[in-house]
Amino acid sequence: MYTVCRLNVLSHNFHIQQLERHNMGFELDDNQQKGMVFNVQKFSVHDGPGIRTIVFTKGCPLRCRWCSNPESQLHETDLAFNVGRCLGVSKCGHCTLACPFGSITVGSNDIPKIERSHCKDCEHKPCAEACPAQSLLIYGKERSVEDVLSVVEQDMVFYARSKGGLTISGGEPLLQTDFALALLREAHNRHIRTAIETCGMVQEETLRAAAPLLHNVLFDIKHIDPVIHKEQTGRSNEQILANFKMLVTEFPKLPVLARTPVVPNFNDNGKTIKAICDFLLPFEHVHYEMLPYHRLGTQKYQFLDRPILMGDVQLNNKKFHGLQNIAATILGERFHRPNK
Amino acid sequence: MSTVTCDCRSPQEQRLLDKIAGKEDKFRKTHQRVFKMLERFDGQKPRIDIERALYFTQSMQETEGQPLVLRWAKALMHIAQNITVYVQDDQLLLGRAGCDGRYGILYPELDGDFLDIAVRDLPTRATSPATITPEDAKRVIEEIAPYWKGKTYHEALNAALPPEVHKLTYDDPQGLVSRFIVNETSSFRSSIQWVHDYGKILKRGFNGIKREAEEKLAALDPLSCKDQCEKRPFLEAVIIVCDAIVLWAKRHAVQARALAQLEQDPVRKAELLRMAENAERVPGEPARDFWEACQSQWFTQMFSRLEQKTGTTISNGRMDQYFYPYYAKDKAEGKITDAKAMELLECMWVGMAEFIDMYISPTGGAFNEGYAHWEAVTVGGQTPDGRDASNELTYLILKSKREFPLHYPDLAARIHSRCPERYLWDVAETIKFGSGFPKLINDEEVVPLYVSKGATFEEALDYAVSGCTEARMPNRDTYTSGGAYINFAAAVEMVLRNGRMKKYGDQLLGVETGDPRNFKTWEEFFDAYKAQHMLFLKTAFYQQYVINKLRATHFAQPMGSAMHDLCMKHCIDLHQEHIPEGINFGYFEYMGLGTVVDSLSAVKKFVFEEKKITMDKLIEAIDANFEGYDDIKALLKSAPCYGNNDPYADSIGREIDRISVEYGGKYSMKDLGIHNDVRYVPFTSHVPFGKVVSATPNGRTDGFPLSDGSSASHGADVNGPTAVLLSNYNTKNMGMRDRAARMLNIKFTPKCVEGDEGTEKLVAFIRTFCDLKLWHVQFNVLNKETLLAAQKDPQKYRSLIVRIAGYSAYFVDLSPDLQNDLIARTEHDTL
Repeated sequence: MYTVCRLNVLSHNFHIQQLERHNMGFELDDNQQKGMVFNVQKFSVHDGPGIRTIVFTKGCPLRCRWCSNPESQLHETDLAFNVGRCLGVSKCGHCTLACPFGSITVGSNDIPKIERSHCKDCEHKPCAEACPAQSLLIYGKERSVEDVLSVVEQDMVFYARSKGGLTISGGEPLLQTDFALALLREAHNRHIRTAIETCGMVQEETLRAAAPLLHNVLFDIKHIDPVIHKEQTGRSNEQILANFKMLVTEFPKLPVLARTPVVPNFNDNGKTIKAICDFLLPFEHVHYEMLPYHRLGTQKYQFLDRPILMGDVQLNNKKFHGLQNIAATILGERFHRPNK
Repeated sequence: MSTVTCDCRSPQEQRLLDKIAGKEDKFRKTHQRVFKMLERFDGQKPRIDIERALYFTQSMQETEGQPLVLRWAKALMHIAQNITVYVQDDQLLLGRAGCDGRYGILYPELDGDFLDIAVRDLPTRATSPATITPEDAKRVIEEIAPYWKGKTYHEALNAALPPEVHKLTYDDPQGLVSRFIVNETSSFRSSIQWVHDYGKILKRGFNGIKREAEEKLAALDPLSCKDQCEKRPFLEAVIIVCDAIVLWAKRHAVQARALAQLEQDPVRKAELLRMAENAERVPGEPARDFWEACQSQWFTQMFSRLEQKTGTTISNGRMDQYFYPYYAKDKAEGKITDAKAMELLECMWVGMAEFIDMYISPTGGAFNEGYAHWEAVTVGGQTPDGRDASNELTYLILKSKREFPLHYPDLAARIHSRCPERYLWDVAETIKFGSGFPKLINDEEVVPLYVSKGATFEEALDYAVSGCTEARMPNRDTYTSGGAYINFAAAVEMVLRNGRMKKYGDQLLGVETGDPRNFKTWEEFFDAYKAQHMLFLKTAFYQQYVINKLRATHFAQPMGSAMHDLCMKHCIDLHQEHIPEGINFGYFEYMGLGTVVDSLSAVKKFVFEEKKITMDKLIEAIDANFEGYDDIKALLKSAPCYGNNDPYADSIGREIDRISVEYGGKYSMKDLGIHNDVRYVPFTSHVPFGKVVSATPNGRTDGFPLSDGSSASHGADVNGPTAVLLSNYNTKNMGMRDRAARMLNIKFTPKCVEGDEGTEKLVAFIRTFCDLKLWHVQFNVLNKETLLAAQKDPQKYRSLIVRIAGYSAYFVDLSPDLQNDLIARTEHDTL
């Protein structure tokens, strides 16, 4: 169901866009367009059909309490410190010498102490460059479409067999609108199948422009209640739901997989899941998946020296299976249960 | 996620046996018979059975001076007449090479000169411990070993190698301890892996071959001295050996019939009578049904083990092809059910599991830890006319692989570009079962390569997987002595130490390429590496030259030759140096590709290009085994590494491969008269080879294992499995033919291949492997135990990637608490 061919629509829209760009005297070649990317991950098998490469972009309008990629939230680079890889100041100490602000000092247990107040003013972060152990890392790098796609294309031989391709993810990939669209256009040029993982909190026009360039959409529906949504993600869900409706009505042939991260004390209850499923029910070509909350991202909060808002809470397995049953009852075959 | 350490999937039988003992296996109910048999030798320490060695020696003592092939046949006849025959409880097949339970046998023609010492040491040796009764040990020491002193191949080789070759080969004057630099492997097995044409025996029987030999004998020119001196003894040997195996089989029939007389249970009584009838008929006469076919193959296989020790033990060939007509006929006639057919096959698997491939020499033992043997059963692939070969028996064997609780048989699935989806799906599902089988061998690499080396398409398309990763064409291919295993990581060390190694002190072993501190450019450094590399290759080829000549005077194998078209046609033993019309696929082993590439990459980048460290500092750090140089070690590890689809590293790998392949191309056929191609398949030997090499510029510490096969260095492949495959592809010189197998191990977490969607992705991954024309791949779906191991040893498992929707991380970067979380999820399949 993922591989519905959209080539006619695609190429038609594509030519129009090319033409428009030309008429506008738009000079910048898509290949040269740059964006903030924090990871290009090969062999991704859970974010779209087949074997894929995910391009993770930086910047997100939401601040979900459970976010498993906190390094994706800010548009600017983040400095991460993975203490597990640190060799210790007495054995290494290159970072303490490299910091132009003198903000890295010897802390307890021979581990560097990082005073982060200057980091946002420090563009190149030489401490990370100096760290031989990849203990200090910079999340985020400005990269061109050309550069990113050259990496994506390395696995073409795998996409060919698995019907996989490129997935853009984030953060919210459409937040860097020019970059995201350039990336999708150029991927289309090179006949790379594309998918997006979106939180839906974007300009309607951006989504409309991206849709014809996509073969698959993974669209997060986190909650139906706008108040609770705002409380837990920082933003209301009205635009998200409106965008979702626009997408599925205006692009009825585009395969959409709605996804809900099932998060303890947020949406791990029958009422919420039922409401989401009821919302999805009328859109017959939309499929649905639930992703159980996991704590693995908490490590990265520590790397970034940010508080772990979720604490130690865990998702109850039994409860999750019960919620899966609810979704299956409402959506039938349209609900994807991975363990089948 | 991808490769960690690995060997060629050596059977971890103990773990599985424990599982059988601990809890009821879900397949037990439908496999009662084999489970009962397995439980009988559960946890048993292997015993050494000396009968084969004893009777072989007795006969050889009597026949001195006669042609070797004839002596060997007479020895086999003596064994057939005297060795104890066994009828095991519950077994449906007859024939074993030694006592009940787990057992190994001895080959004093290989190791007789030190067998007495070894037998004394054996029970205390750390690797491969086995038991021997005091009476048997006494007989070995007093009756067997003394005869062989001064007569073994091993002694002859040790004496024949010139000093400059000897010093890179052995660490002692007796040639018992390897240097692990240019290691010879010909003295602990009489040939590399081999597979017989079992189908021929099923169709014609040994009596048919005997008649052919008799006709040939009658047609010999009585006036030709060549006919009389060479062909006559060969043909006489074939006749003797055909009689020997038939006699041995019939002794089993007598035994089974006697037991049937005493048997109270009518069901077992009938089985025993049928087994006796089978053994009266096969392998002398053609098989008529599936049971007879299995029995005929099994007798042939087991008697062949009595004949000689081939590397990894004798392989099983294309079982789904040669058994199929018998299976199909029985099924059509309603004589057999799939369950019964599977039971017969599994009776063979049990027999394989009981056998232990004993290595007596310390070097041999180090090569094959854990009694590993690979008697590859081949399924799938193509027919000789290039059509897909899969059939219902293929699927039955795959099913058995999923349900049989041990790592036997060593199952190999041939893959080609037109494999039906059902076949690949079944293969993928079998892999997902977690044992890592089947291993996959790629027709799209093997077939054209073999054609380019002189095979016809028909022959090449009909290849059988043999041993660990090799492929054989049983009637075209000929024997080869074990080739050199070359430690190229030692070559890197010799560049840093001007031709010397830390372990061997001041002794000059390699080329004096000068003090590397004086090298001005990367090119100078790489030239020095190439100089050491060339010396190693030269030494290996010199060894092989001597070995090929010596082997022909020390080994014969009338039985294997009787089954080979070319040997019968030309009346020549398979161990002779050159078989007319034959193609001889020898190889030498490149040990430590990842270690070498990563080391050279780090030197190139950090010393010569970025000048982050000086050569002096690098050597200082290496001399100190990186103690006190943690930052340098970390820096070196961050160099571009092989296994990441990184052109920086891969181009070095390709160049190294090229100079090796080119050397083979230039000197194999011209000087050796055989192919001697570069191969990347280490068994478990990357461990002992690593022990002699001090720290290397890739941040590897003293004595740590080398990278294995064509896999990346431990944990160096941080970009996932697609990059691992592509690096492999990148480092191959596809325009040249003088290359052999490359072994590649890939690890997946269960989540990556979960559900039908996961199977689909695994199938796509396999198809891409096929597209890339890589020789071999073996997958391992990780379980809880592996993740626990990764927790304990993060350095080794640096590349374990966790793939969860919308999230990514390396396993070793997670805190212990989160790792435990992940492990728990793995266990509960909800990862």
